[in-house]
Amino acid sequence: MSRRTVLSRLKALLLLAPLVFLTGCSQVSGLGFEEGVTSVNDQSLSLWQGAWIAGGVVGVFTLILILWPAVFHRGKKDDPSFPKQTQYNVPVEVAYTIIPFIIVAVLFYYTAQKQTVITEKTTTYAHEITVEGIQWSWQFGYPEAGPKAVVTGTPEQTPTLVVPLGERVRYTLTANDVVHGFWIPAFMIQMQNLPGVTNHLEFTANKLGEFPGRCNILCGRNHSQMLFKVKVVTPAEFDAYLETLKGGQA
Amino acid sequence: MKASWKLFGGLSVFYVLMTVIYWQVGGEEVGIAGMLLSACLAGMVGFYVWFTQKRIGVTLPEDNLTAEIADGAGELGFYSPHSWWPLPVALSACVFALGLIIGWWLSLIGLGALVISIIGMVTEYEKPEIASAH
Amino acid sequence: MTTYAEKPTMTASGAVPTPKGKSIVKWMTSTDHKTIGYLYLITSFAWFLIGGILAIALRAELARPGMQFLSNEQYNQIFTMHGTIMLLMFATPLFVGFANVIMPLQIGAADVAFPRLNMLSYWLYLFGSLMAFGGFLSPGGAASFGWTVYAPLSNAQYSPGIGSDLWLVGLAISGVGTILGGVNFITTIFTMRAPGMTMFRMSIFSWNVLLTAILVLLAFPPLAAALLGLEADRLYGTHLFDPANGGVMLFQHLFWFFGHPEVYILALPFFGIVTEILPVFSRKPIFGYLGLIAATIAIAALSVSVWAHHMFASGQVLLPFFSFMTFLIGVPTGVKFFNWIGTMWRGHVTFETPMLWVMGFLVTFLFGGITGIILASPPLDFAVSASYFVVAHFHYVLFGTVVFAMFGGFYFWWPKFTGRMLNETLGKIHFWTLFFGFHLTFLIQHWLGIKGFPRRYADYLPTDGFTFMNTVSTIGSFLLALSMIPFAINIWITRKAPMVGVDDPWGYGSSLEWATSCPPPRHNFLSMPRISSERPAFDLHHPHIKTEGHE
Repeated sequence: MSRRTVLSRLKALLLLAPLVFLTGCSQVSGLGFEEGVTSVNDQSLSLWQGAWIAGGVVGVFTLILILWPAVFHRGKKDDPSFPKQTQYNVPVEVAYTIIPFIIVAVLFYYTAQKQTVITEKTTTYAHEITVEGIQWSWQFGYPEAGPKAVVTGTPEQTPTLVVPLGERVRYTLTANDVVHGFWIPAFMIQMQNLPGVTNHLEFTANKLGEFPGRCNILCGRNHSQMLFKVKVVTPAEFDAYLETLKGGQA
Repeated sequence: MKASWKLFGGLSVFYVLMTVIYWQVGGEEVGIAGMLLSACLAGMVGFYVWFTQKRIGVTLPEDNLTAEIADGAGELGFYSPHSWWPLPVALSACVFALGLIIGWWLSLIGLGALVISIIGMVTEYEKPEIASAH
Repeated sequence: MTTYAEKPTMTASGAVPTPKGKSIVKWMTSTDHKTIGYLYLITSFAWFLIGGILAIALRAELARPGMQFLSNEQYNQIFTMHGTIMLLMFATPLFVGFANVIMPLQIGAADVAFPRLNMLSYWLYLFGSLMAFGGFLSPGGAASFGWTVYAPLSNAQYSPGIGSDLWLVGLAISGVGTILGGVNFITTIFTMRAPGMTMFRMSIFSWNVLLTAILVLLAFPPLAAALLGLEADRLYGTHLFDPANGGVMLFQHLFWFFGHPEVYILALPFFGIVTEILPVFSRKPIFGYLGLIAATIAIAALSVSVWAHHMFASGQVLLPFFSFMTFLIGVPTGVKFFNWIGTMWRGHVTFETPMLWVMGFLVTFLFGGITGIILASPPLDFAVSASYFVVAHFHYVLFGTVVFAMFGGFYFWWPKFTGRMLNETLGKIHFWTLFFGFHLTFLIQHWLGIKGFPRRYADYLPTDGFTFMNTVSTIGSFLLALSMIPFAINIWITRKAPMVGVDDPWGYGSSLEWATSCPPPRHNFLSMPRISSERPAFDLHHPHIKTEGHE
């Protein structure tokens, strides 16, 4: 294969990759996620962007290093000559051990900082909502509106989780049968509902709107239908919603 | 052999270190047990290789940087030329395992067959020379 | 080389023809590591094709919203078996196959330490895998709880049916075979190296086989414990994994304590294959041989302490400890990349088919490794765990490593196995079709996961916005499937190609297998060159080029 064909093929390949990502042009800067949706996004989004930038730089750099000899250090098959038989170069080896270590150390530093904030359990949350995973839907409970304030969904009629804007909520996750996964993609957050274990998750929703939620841990036959909707409403609307629930509607 | 026991010894020490760190930062029993047992396994193998090397005393040809191939001349050992026995051992093990699901009677048959075939495999070459058919 | 008189069954000019029955008996009673290795390679490749067909079924169902031809339950069975087959019936035994054929040759041994145990391991693998797959023939169908088998979904209450029991028992049997194989390989490498073949002259592939075998010994027993414990719960009413006893987290810990080293068991041998091919087609020694071994030892050591990064979303594990260890293990993996690049650097690089596969691996695994670093960070993991982002990540690292290196190894060692070369043109068609098919299938899945499509979902709504991406991925998967055809044609049309007649048809082979005939005699070496470096065959064939020692 001539060098020209190789180069043109390489160009075609390098063009393929970003094309895939251009399908979501408006979200290119967030690389799929939006700013300010929840307190979690406030922590995670910058790390997501930073990690991808670091990954992109390292990746492109390494890719160039991989392809460089493929293009520029090629030899003819029938040529019997030998290149210099270099077996090691200690400074280079030390460098390419230390530099990746520094990169991951930096990533770990920000990771540790942000995960501490994201997983923090406070006593100052404004509301508690219970989230029970059942085969194959969700049961959302609002204890402050009384024990009857429970919304149960079915695969055919998926439930809505109503959440107040700007107020910190503690979600108490349980499961009464198998493991389920409480995942709200736009919120960059998930946690498992484990039978026999009570999990807690706290965050604040900061954007009005409706966001899809899905069970993401295999839980049996109708795993794919275990959907829910998160509806972020104003605190006033939330209080009104709690009032309707106090009547005990399912 | 030196590199060999050092490898296992090193891994064992590392796993012990990891066990202690994990325990101290608040880890849980499964991880502690798993890493500790891994340390024990690595340590056991490393210890065996170490004292075997000690007992041998000399540098073996494969560890000798300036060895000649002729240093390994002579009988290497006995290599079974072919054998039917692995098949019944495996089949018996499977019958035993299937018996767990189907019924203990099957497991019993499997266990019997397993014992017989293991004995058969282990003693395959313990025959007196005259009676050897293979 | 042995005192046992042996009728040669293979001469340099090809196999002596035998009637079919005799051949079958010869293969069934074999104690030759090469024959047993071929059995492993052929069987695992067959499972690869079966697992691939299951994948095509999944992708065909997912191409459009709505369930077109599978039920939810069938879909769950299919992805469970797809994962199980690919990981435990294809990739792990494939390592055993390559290790069996190549490692004894590379260390100058006449066979493995326990030849009959070797065959026993093969039978246990074959029968265990057939038992697990046999679940498809049972009334309730095959196991459907995902290859990760989480309790309590996998218990008798939520997964009744003999298919699940067959899966558990079959894998336990197959796992015993793998453990015995690990014992065999470690013993062989420790006790049967040729004179002068010190540990630090051993080829990188053989080093990786050693470290993989150690990981097998550490990882498979916890798996066996988990599977048999689960089976006890299912059959005998024990409560090992009862949620009330903390069984849910217990199972996850046990499973992933196995599961993480398992992915290194899958990766390391194939890194080894790549490391064998690169120097030959760069005409230079491997760059940083000692550093590469150190990096691989570091990976083997660390892989035992990172397992809970598969459990970040459980909310029940120590995030800082596991994320730190996971980031750490990325460093030696990255180091290896630079060893590989350094081998090509300023070499005399040629692109015969094996080298193409290595390039494919380097590019693919690079991307997969980067997404792995992303996932190592819990905040980022919370965003995309258990979504198609993870599916894309692990296919990039696993397929990128195992399949690319497998085909590279096949084309590279085909003359050593069979005495004949595979066709280069068909090889190139095979590579490029597979490369494009693979990336078309899996690249877009990263975006699919980011947009919120969970893994193991059988279906989605037309309003979800997942349709286009799924359709693209399905088209890619069909292309990927079609890429197997040039390979099949290649094997067929070269079956009567002329024998190469030389020890090293590629010309620049380093390790000892290239110092014996193609194919080798029954006990591998009729004569052996002096071993004074890590490139004994190269030193033999090119004595005027000096290779420096390492100690």
